[in-house]
Amino acid sequence: MAILFDIQRFCIHDGPGVRTTLFFKGCPLRCQWCQNPESQNPKPEIAFYQEKCVGCFECLEACPHEAIVSLPDRRIDRGKCDACGLCAEVCTQDALRLVGKDWDAESLVEEIAADRDFFLDSGGGLTLSGGEPLLQGDFLLEFLSLAKSEGIHTNLETCGMAGYEVLSSLTSLLDLVYFDLKLMDSQEHAKYTGASNARILSNFSLLAGEFPAVQARMPVIPGVNDSAENIFQTAAFLRHNNKNSIHLLPYHNLGQSKLTRLDAGAEPFYIRDIPEDYLIRAREAFEKEDVHAIVYE
Amino acid sequence: MPLSTNEKQARSVSPRLSLVKKKDRVTRLKEAVQAATPGICTERALLWTEYFKDKANRTKHVYVQMAEALAHSQNNRSIAIHPGELIVGNYTSRRVGGLMFPELHGLVVMQDLFKFPTRETNPLEISRLNQVRLLSIAPFWATRMLAVKTCDSWLDAFSLVLNQLMGNYYIINEAAGISHIAPDYETLCRLGTDGIKAQASKLQKQSLMDADKWYFYESVKIAAEGLAAFGERYAQLAAEMGENELDEGRAAELKAVAEVCSRVPRKGAKTFREALQCCFFAQIAINNESLDNSVCPGRMDHYLYPYYEKDLKTGLLTREEAKELVGAFSVKMSEIVPVFSKYITRTHGGFFNGQIVNVGGTDKNGEDSTNELTMIFLEVMDELRMRQPNYTARVHKNSPKEYLDKVYGILSKGANSPSIYNDEVIVPVLKQNGVKIGDARNYTPVGCVEPVAQGVSFSSTDAALFNTAIILELALNQGRRLGRFAQIGAKTKPASQMTCIEDVQEAFEIQMFHGINRLLKDLQAIEIANAEHHPTPLSSMLLDGCLENGACSTRGGTRYNFSGIQCVGLVDVGDSLAAIKQAVFEDKKLSMEELVGHLKNNLSDDRWRHYLLNMPKFGNDDPFADIWTAYALDVFKAALDGKTSTRGGKYTVGVYSVTLHEYWGTVVSALPNGRRNGESLSNGMSPSNGQDRKGPTAVLNSMNRIDYSKTDNGVNFNIKFDANTVGSPAGCIAMKSIFSTYFKRGGMQAQINVLDPKVLIEARDNPEAYPHLLVRVSGYSAYFNDLTPAMKEEMIRRTSMGL
Repeated sequence: MAILFDIQRFCIHDGPGVRTTLFFKGCPLRCQWCQNPESQNPKPEIAFYQEKCVGCFECLEACPHEAIVSLPDRRIDRGKCDACGLCAEVCTQDALRLVGKDWDAESLVEEIAADRDFFLDSGGGLTLSGGEPLLQGDFLLEFLSLAKSEGIHTNLETCGMAGYEVLSSLTSLLDLVYFDLKLMDSQEHAKYTGASNARILSNFSLLAGEFPAVQARMPVIPGVNDSAENIFQTAAFLRHNNKNSIHLLPYHNLGQSKLTRLDAGAEPFYIRDIPEDYLIRAREAFEKEDVHAIVYE
Repeated sequence: MPLSTNEKQARSVSPRLSLVKKKDRVTRLKEAVQAATPGICTERALLWTEYFKDKANRTKHVYVQMAEALAHSQNNRSIAIHPGELIVGNYTSRRVGGLMFPELHGLVVMQDLFKFPTRETNPLEISRLNQVRLLSIAPFWATRMLAVKTCDSWLDAFSLVLNQLMGNYYIINEAAGISHIAPDYETLCRLGTDGIKAQASKLQKQSLMDADKWYFYESVKIAAEGLAAFGERYAQLAAEMGENELDEGRAAELKAVAEVCSRVPRKGAKTFREALQCCFFAQIAINNESLDNSVCPGRMDHYLYPYYEKDLKTGLLTREEAKELVGAFSVKMSEIVPVFSKYITRTHGGFFNGQIVNVGGTDKNGEDSTNELTMIFLEVMDELRMRQPNYTARVHKNSPKEYLDKVYGILSKGANSPSIYNDEVIVPVLKQNGVKIGDARNYTPVGCVEPVAQGVSFSSTDAALFNTAIILELALNQGRRLGRFAQIGAKTKPASQMTCIEDVQEAFEIQMFHGINRLLKDLQAIEIANAEHHPTPLSSMLLDGCLENGACSTRGGTRYNFSGIQCVGLVDVGDSLAAIKQAVFEDKKLSMEELVGHLKNNLSDDRWRHYLLNMPKFGNDDPFADIWTAYALDVFKAALDGKTSTRGGKYTVGVYSVTLHEYWGTVVSALPNGRRNGESLSNGMSPSNGQDRKGPTAVLNSMNRIDYSKTDNGVNFNIKFDANTVGSPAGCIAMKSIFSTYFKRGGMQAQINVLDPKVLIEARDNPEAYPHLLVRVSGYSAYFNDLTPAMKEEMIRRTSMGL
């Protein structure tokens, strides 16, 4: 079984063609700019959409754990809540939602295969995303084997933070890996993501050595990793691993207001003035270093 | 700053002539039309009345009356040629105007006579004098209008009119005239009115023993002569204006206009320009003859191509000049608006006359027929983006890549036009209805979405619209509206005695047959009234079969005859049946009686409403839900099967709702799918109220579970994308890919709308209207409705910036 917090069909930014993206729940990193904070906790949790709540308190009666509180911005006592989801079931406004659903490999493949016709026509397939899919490596082994036997193209989006053996065990089942390189300086990396990048970089090198279809990606966070120095170092690292391209993902503030829904303690990370040309400048900096940079819309 | 599509296209064209100047003309024409205040033209109504007030005319044969009345009106009303025009002709006395049909629905429309200029939706200018003039003809027509002639008694007529205004169960559009045709402009361009008149004369000589036939040919001769004279009025006007024109360039242009109009429509077209002009004159005249609704030029890129090709070869015309003419023609099509009262607008909103121009498809042998003119039309529709014409595009398995790229390319940039039609489904559907393969391959959509073999079929595609959702309401309450006593439908089993889903189905089927039979009884009375009192000789002479048979199209003279009946609220019924099956008979959460109780209370209990809204819904790739929509369609079709119209044609099934889904949404009670009274019903074939939660591929999978051989009058499937998702090149390719798959698997039609920031703003202000609007940003998952106010602003900002 695996835990996912979303399945999104008709994705066009997560690999070639039309794709179904699976958002796995649980992540070893805590990137401050995380746009899907509901992906971090590996367990189910209840999200509270404050602006939708009409204060009927149907949830109060439904909850067997007395975990419903009536604060203006908070409905769940996280200490008591075990995410059984009964409150979400009775909420008529969809203000309380259970984030995180268990899937077995067979049902998940069946769910994805519904779009096989579209995959075939467009050259698409499925994309593992999250969260960090590699945290659920055993499941992936079973699931990807089934998906491959159905002829579905597979792509893994990873932060690279996992034991290499997990990654290595899956390469024969993957057509493509999108590998994030966020920051080259280890201390900076630890500061912004909660962990050193040593293992990530070593995994990248090992993977690049044995698996040709690995594509580096960088979420470009203005003022954090778009400095000339970081781009120079990233380019050097890529060249060293015989890679000559990188995908640049734009930053946006959309993830931040998800934080309060989960009562996640994290400080909101909000960049007020996003420079208009930061992506273009980042691309130019990479190009200068002979690394082909593709900017996502 | 990225180039706009227009600029890109302008640059891609080789500037053989002074392109900038040429482009300016069409833009100027467009601006003039868009700046004009729409208003009501009274001339047709008054001249029509003048003709019929003459007692000598009232003794003539009805065929002759109609042809003469039209010619009288067309050739005595005011005409104008506007600055810069190359294609000339006026639907009305105004730059942008609407016509009044006192003999049809004009009197009903006149209930708003004094409100037109000031009403909020679609105000129409009309002077005090003209209001009085219209009022003065009302008594004359009160005893002569079609509805009165349909009925035996005044009381019946009154109830018929009332039923058309406030129709809860069905709306019969034929009560206001029929139209909805794709005339044979190919033949008109080839033969000219003189050629058609000669045919009629010859046939008339052989019909001395048959008065009806003889008079029909007589009326065709009059109609043909009237149309020719109408064109010649413009020839004369252009010549006069040319003589007085100080600008030499414009004087030469007017001289050319005069030459064109002195040839067409009388002599038939020799050049591309003459052919376009010929079509437009006929277009005007037909709109003045019958109901000004859905008179469709159809496959212009196909039947005008030989003229284009020849002119290009002889050097008479360049591609740019042809494009300018097409642009000028296209702008002209926006000079007409419908004159509807508030009540009619409720059911037929949108303020458009449904004049379809189609591109793409195949020739009669099934070979791809796209050509350079197809591309020109596509460019024009993208650059103009005007209210009319309603542009459509046909696709088939061998449609060239270049064509498809262009169609999807302009859609991904937010043109919202053309809508797309699949030959692989539609041609066999027409064939199964007895249309010969060559004719079927020459189909064009008509009106909203209805496939019609061009020039050979009188398909009355919008004969009536039927409220299928109210049928379910009746089925749940023994044939009565919920909370009312009047027995409207058949007496069926009370909900308390329904012990399985089959019981519900049985009641639904009985009510459906009962309701359809009632509709057909009323409709057939109106069919006869149209045939007897409002024949259409001009339209008929441009529909193959009428001349040969010596009979008007309203009397079944055309080669093929159909009448389209629309199923409105289909998906609501399907979802409701799915909800009943799941909630009552599988999960046993409540009894039928309790369910009906909640519906009577308009689902005032939020918990039950929420519960029902979460039942399986069509459009989510869930076979459990989808089969019930397919079932409801089967029942509707079965009720019409085997019935024949008084014109000898079958009744065909359409699934589109114009704007009736909104109006009938205010009529129909709460339904088991969780919809409350007052909320809109489903729009055509689209998932109800945005209940599609899994994105476009899931919607397409559900859509592909419907057997479109059953929807022979077409379906409307609206699907919306946000510009962030499909505005990019990769997004456009993905969009093209999923629709090719949908069509390959037997999809019939799609209307693709790519939302601009304005729509996001609207969605922000009216969240209920867009419950499941998807927004896609790389790696980020959300529905627009689920964003916080601040995030919504951010998304609107991003979309506005084209990020």
